[in-house]
Amino acid sequence: MTETNLESLKIEAKKEIENSFDLGQIGEVFRKYLGKQGEIARILRSLDSLPKEKRAEIGKQANDFKNFINLKIEEKIKELKEKSGKGSGGKEWIDITAPGKKPSVGHLHPLTLIRRKTEEIFQTMGFSTIEGPEIESVWYNFDALNIPKDHPARDAWDTFYLKDGMLLRAHTSPVQIRFMEKNNPPFRIIVPGRIFRHEATDPSHEFDFYQLEGLMVGEDISAANFKAVIQEFYRRFFGKPVKIRLIPSFFPFTEPSFQVDMSCVNCSGKGCPACKRTGWLEMMGAGMVHPNVFKYAGLNPKGLTGFAFGMGLDRLAMMKYKINNIRLFHSGDLRFLQQF
Amino acid sequence: MKFSYNWLQSFFNKKLPVPEKLAELIIGHAFEVEEIKKIGKDYVLDIGVLANRGSDCFSHIGMAREIAVILNYKFQVPVFKLTENKKINVKSLIKVVVENKGGCPRYTARVISDVKIGDSPKWIKENLEACGLRPINNVVDITNYVMLETGQPLHAFDQEKIEGKKIIVRFAEAGEKITTLDEEIYKLNEDVLIIADIKKPIAVAGVKGGKSPEIDEKTKTIVLESANFNPQNVRKSSKIINLKTDASWRFEHGLDQNLAEFAINRAAYLVQEIAKGKVAKGLIDVSAKKSLKKIIRLDLNYVDRLLGVKIPQKQAIDILKRLEFKIKAVKKTVKIIDVEVPAFRLDVLLPEDLIEEIGRIYGYENIPSVFPIAALIPPKRNLDVFWENLSKDILKETGFTEVSNYSFVSRKDAETLKFKDKDLIEIENPMSLEYQYLRPSLIPNLLKNIESNQSNFSDINIYELGKVFKPDKKEKEKRMLSAVIFSQKEKNDLFYQMKGTAEVLLNKLGISNIWNDGYQPTPEDSKSIIWQRGKTAEIKVGNEEIGFLGEISDKVTESFKIKGKVVLFDIDFEKLSKVASEEHEYRPISRFPAAIRDIAVLIPRETRVVEVMNKIETEGGELIRDVDLFDIYEGEELPEGKKNLAFHIIFQSDNKTLSSREVDELQEKIIKVLEKEPQWQVRKQ
Repeated sequence: MTETNLESLKIEAKKEIENSFDLGQIGEVFRKYLGKQGEIARILRSLDSLPKEKRAEIGKQANDFKNFINLKIEEKIKELKEKSGKGSGGKEWIDITAPGKKPSVGHLHPLTLIRRKTEEIFQTMGFSTIEGPEIESVWYNFDALNIPKDHPARDAWDTFYLKDGMLLRAHTSPVQIRFMEKNNPPFRIIVPGRIFRHEATDPSHEFDFYQLEGLMVGEDISAANFKAVIQEFYRRFFGKPVKIRLIPSFFPFTEPSFQVDMSCVNCSGKGCPACKRTGWLEMMGAGMVHPNVFKYAGLNPKGLTGFAFGMGLDRLAMMKYKINNIRLFHSGDLRFLQQF
Repeated sequence: MKFSYNWLQSFFNKKLPVPEKLAELIIGHAFEVEEIKKIGKDYVLDIGVLANRGSDCFSHIGMAREIAVILNYKFQVPVFKLTENKKINVKSLIKVVVENKGGCPRYTARVISDVKIGDSPKWIKENLEACGLRPINNVVDITNYVMLETGQPLHAFDQEKIEGKKIIVRFAEAGEKITTLDEEIYKLNEDVLIIADIKKPIAVAGVKGGKSPEIDEKTKTIVLESANFNPQNVRKSSKIINLKTDASWRFEHGLDQNLAEFAINRAAYLVQEIAKGKVAKGLIDVSAKKSLKKIIRLDLNYVDRLLGVKIPQKQAIDILKRLEFKIKAVKKTVKIIDVEVPAFRLDVLLPEDLIEEIGRIYGYENIPSVFPIAALIPPKRNLDVFWENLSKDILKETGFTEVSNYSFVSRKDAETLKFKDKDLIEIENPMSLEYQYLRPSLIPNLLKNIESNQSNFSDINIYELGKVFKPDKKEKEKRMLSAVIFSQKEKNDLFYQMKGTAEVLLNKLGISNIWNDGYQPTPEDSKSIIWQRGKTAEIKVGNEEIGFLGEISDKVTESFKIKGKVVLFDIDFEKLSKVASEEHEYRPISRFPAAIRDIAVLIPRETRVVEVMNKIETEGGELIRDVDLFDIYEGEELPEGKKNLAFHIIFQSDNKTLSSREVDELQEKIIKVLEKEPQWQVRKQ
């Protein structure tokens, strides 16, 4: 037995293994080379007649050969099994179309999700989140916001009053005053929170709902700045470019005042039932902070400008998730809540 | 307010854009247009005049003026020539006394004799109907027509029916009554400003006319009233008698005093033309004083700064002029102008008001979007919000769904849970009895959630994080976190599920020194009705009680019609967020293997698990890594009144491998200690 013999045997065996199509053929190759009557056994048996040094050398080569074949066969078997796609002989097959077992998880309220999203977007633009009390005084809810006593303007906020003369805040704007009393400009804040309006309910009106207030004050904050910030907010919130327009409005605490309309996200402004065929959706009230508001909050209005805005979070959630009835939010109906 | 398109067109020589186009322009530069409706040959535009523009734009002339400015058209106020009859003097026919000048800064009157009451001509009727008013007779229709045209409410009395031929503007006396034109009787008081003759009230000033001097088909001589009443007085009267009218609505918004005179002459002229009357010589005009001219100094640089766009000086001035503002002085070098405000613009007081005028006519669509330039001040972290978000996430992960309930409860719910008046804040003007009080607790509405969901779900895990209210000077409102588990199936581990949830929540909030104390309610406490006796615990962190955990009493679940067991925790979130912490320290994992031994102890039923665990831990000392209760068993095979507890005890050292002899010795020590208790029995395994 010579080295060349073992070498050519190795090449031959390798070829045979590679050409095998199934486990049966592989078995045959195994038996041919490594079986009790196989080539290796034959070689090893023939060693007895050789000198001691030669015996050791050939013995080692035969062992290497054995390892080599074993490895090649193992690889081939793995390859064949993978090809068949059923693991070992199909015994471990599972029906991957059967439904998965879901771990029991809870759900966040859709308004919590919307609130987080708005907070996150404004935070990236440098706005801090501030909160305020839900029971308010007439001063913070009306007077300090320049909403005159005994004027029809006050009727725009249908308010719940408490027996002790306090009230439930009808908007988040009182927090503007509370914040400005304690902080000097420049600043950027948003104020999310519950508000209350004594209004008849219907699919688009609630009496206990959520608002998000915004306020940015500095030395040269302009309406153009407001446009940019709010457009960026809506673009990020809806995940696509949107158009906004400002139309004249009136709020006693801003001058000039705007109503902000956004191009309808349903029809991209072409006109559909959601936007009453106008192509626009009314999104929020806003404006440049009225100098009297700065005064009432104890700031000197000279040289100070800023914008403020307030939007309904329920309305945003309704648009985002295509919810057609605002009263679902407080319904506690799990068939609704577990969809979020 | 409803506007007639044809009427608006009548002020212009040039053709107005089609209604839809016109509406678009009005929306862009002035007011929301809610609706456009075709009526016959006319279109009606329902325009949402803003509350600060009531003084000039609740009128067709005012709206035409706006349109003229927006389109840059010329518009013409109607020109008319009133002819007075020299032979009749107004002063001989009526006297006017204004007792309260504050309530009535201006009162004008005219008398017209020999009028023929009849139907109005078609054009007046059509215009009134387009604007939603019902034609009555020519004189009354003219007063309404002129109101819609000019914005000034007017009233006509039958002169012969005015007792003493004297009109007195005064406050009503307590107990006085008036029957109005629509035959309603109103009780008046000292806060209601009225028009009276020498005997009785004949109108509620600025609100509604009285029945007694009504114009009818026999009326020959009329007194026209065109007055300026104090907005606050009219608002008050309207509230007291609970009546809102087209007139009160206009007066409440405030009116220009000059308008009274223009409108009465216009109305007298139309009566003369249409009802063929003779206008008596002279205008009765009782006025306090003329309003002063308002001049505002405006820095045009400030206009650009506030709007964020450069508007050419010429254009800004042109806009103001078109709006009938007068430019008094223009300083060449600096861009500062003095602007005189027209009398009808009661809303314009400050430079910012002028900037709004310039901005809206210039067009807000022409303002670019420009990001502000600001110092890079990172937003402040709001810890209240942070802990709220974290808690909500933890509860979500443990399988709880968040609800958001109304902040209100009914008297019935409050009473069911034994909340007393002293615990409750009542709403002065509630939506309905269902929402009469601010919620003193999150529990009632959570129980209602269970009730309404139980037909669809046999197991419910929900929570709410929200404010509760109580009439407390220091802490009127505070946040609570309440979670509830409900099951219709027979389960006896609901309490422990809830307890486990509370522990996970608190641990994840970085709170470790949590323990439970038995809860002994005082009978008068509302809590005593809510919680089931013997199945309720206080949740404590250190020495402070932060909430309660327990089963809701059968009595309460029954009254909320809940068919199943309810276990709840109710945690004071203000206290919780104070003790919550983000500090967290890793505990090194021992390199040495742990050994586990099991132990079972038979103890009396009422003995607490924690007593057994404490003994094991104390005796085992620091070589005990953990004691884990894996079974509590009470059953028939056990002696009466006993329960069996089974623990895994995990022994581990930080600095060596414990030999089994060492572990067995420790285990023996523990068993001995446990068996010292006469009623306890260790069942060796």
